[in-house]
Amino acid sequence: MLVVTWETDGIGNCVVLAGKPYVYARTTAGEFVLMARCSHRGGPLHLASFSPGTTRLVCPWHSRATSVTKALRAGIPAVRRGKRVTAVFDVPATEKAEIEYRPLSPDLVC
Amino acid sequence: MTSGRPPTHAPYPYPLSADALREAVAQYGANPVYQDSAEWFNEDNPYRRQMRPQDLGHLDFSRVLPASEILGNSALAAQRLLTSIYEADMMYLPPTGFAEKREDFSAFYNASNRTLGEMIRPALERHAYGFLDDEVHVTGKWTRDSFRSYLEAFAENPPNGDSPSIRAVENSRDPERAARMYLLQFAADFLSEASPMVRNALGNYGNPQSEWFKIIIDEYGYGVHETKHSRLYENTLESVGLRSDVHHYWQFYLSSSLMMNNYFHFLAKNHENFFRHLGALYYTETALIEDCRSQSKMMRKVFGDSADVTYFDEHVHIDTHHSRMAIDKLIWPVIEQCGEGVIPDIVRGFEELQAINVIADRDLVDQIRWMDGEPAGKDLHGPVRAAIDSGTVTAPVTRVVEPRGKLTNTFVHDEDVLCHVVSGTMKVVCGLDSHHILEAGQGMVIPRQRLHGASIESEECVYEINSVGDYRKCLS
Repeated sequence: MLVVTWETDGIGNCVVLAGKPYVYARTTAGEFVLMARCSHRGGPLHLASFSPGTTRLVCPWHSRATSVTKALRAGIPAVRRGKRVTAVFDVPATEKAEIEYRPLSPDLVC
Repeated sequence: MTSGRPPTHAPYPYPLSADALREAVAQYGANPVYQDSAEWFNEDNPYRRQMRPQDLGHLDFSRVLPASEILGNSALAAQRLLTSIYEADMMYLPPTGFAEKREDFSAFYNASNRTLGEMIRPALERHAYGFLDDEVHVTGKWTRDSFRSYLEAFAENPPNGDSPSIRAVENSRDPERAARMYLLQFAADFLSEASPMVRNALGNYGNPQSEWFKIIIDEYGYGVHETKHSRLYENTLESVGLRSDVHHYWQFYLSSSLMMNNYFHFLAKNHENFFRHLGALYYTETALIEDCRSQSKMMRKVFGDSADVTYFDEHVHIDTHHSRMAIDKLIWPVIEQCGEGVIPDIVRGFEELQAINVIADRDLVDQIRWMDGEPAGKDLHGPVRAAIDSGTVTAPVTRVVEPRGKLTNTFVHDEDVLCHVVSGTMKVVCGLDSHHILEAGQGMVIPRQRLHGASIESEECVYEINSVGDYRKCLS
């Protein structure tokens, strides 16, 4: 398994594995590692807002709703200490991780 | 999702209202053994612990301190209180003169003190450690495999013992003084070493309990007093001219030093934190190997061959075993016994202790700089006072008149203050063997969160405390 440490905020707030971006979300529903690409057409989930009163993130491209319930209950194992997060990805430890930046919607930085 | 972010601070049963809590804390602090002292040090009396009871009624222990206030006066008061509450479970006897201290012994161990302590303890713990609920957060589904990978990644980049506070000691203007201040910070912990661990040795939880006990046996020197770790630390202190009686230097403990020691009591006293305790134990047994190697080197460098470094060298050796025992004999078997659901708590304790380590290191670095005269407190008196006099800065002022010998027991301000002596002579103590003498017309900036005390060196002293907020604003 691959262990990656990155920042929750600012430059370097996104880890990209095999082309998939992941950010750390701090939401009113809880904290979790978010795969920041919509499974529909690859829209930017890091810019998504919650549908009011739900735990579903609405993709800004096609308004496709993605539930974060699984990410909260059984998502990627991670621990945040201050503004640094360490997560364990279920990919070979030899996988190359790249650290990038993604702007985050206000709903993901509560 | 209609409500706000869920509360992260664990509730506790039977909470006291803010007023009832304040009253109970004040009642606890009224115990004769917690009163201010006319001396800087406690003389071979483990029951005397200065709490500055005059402050307690003004502090709000009912709230969770944010990380920015974790080194403030409320935190210091809470950590002093918690130290005494936890240690009422431990046995302390002075080596000599017990008959004269019998009254203090009774005052410390009597049922009223213990019961009052237990009443206020949950609120104090929430006050002092609630920030960790925000500082460290564990999420996702942890499995044995992901936990193993996490630990392996940690092992690939283990702590290298390059501690900022050790560097601060070595680079201090007075390394011996700084090293003594450094060493006494650990006295609350090391002179009662492994006492928190004993709290989790009782009960019945299978084979891990016996493995837990083996580590305790090492800490307690297998019943041979001269090899008990606390005894080794006494030798270390004495070899560099420090006293080894329990809490002799009570007034010189930094808030973060008590926070570190109390954290283990907090985990172990509340058995629901057992799995966090496992994580913290594993981190400390692992990190201590290199920490102790660095501490031993620092001692030799500062004090030469006269320093007794057996305590540190012993830990370089034995913690190699304890680290392995903690993971192989305790943590993995406990996960096997209790399931993967306990892993997040183990990770949490492992990370929380690192967070506290960072705070304690920074605190000690800042205190050593303050003892060395940085920021240049006395030199700042002129420009800061000029800013106040010109009205550039609004600084509420308190005027105080005190007689010769009056000793202000150590505390911290929550913001920068300018201390200005109107008449008389004052001695401002910044740490062990570190002080400034202020005569009439002189003064100094006392930075926020820096431990200090004062004594009056003239028949009378009139001085003013100006709360300036951030002194740097007075310079612009």
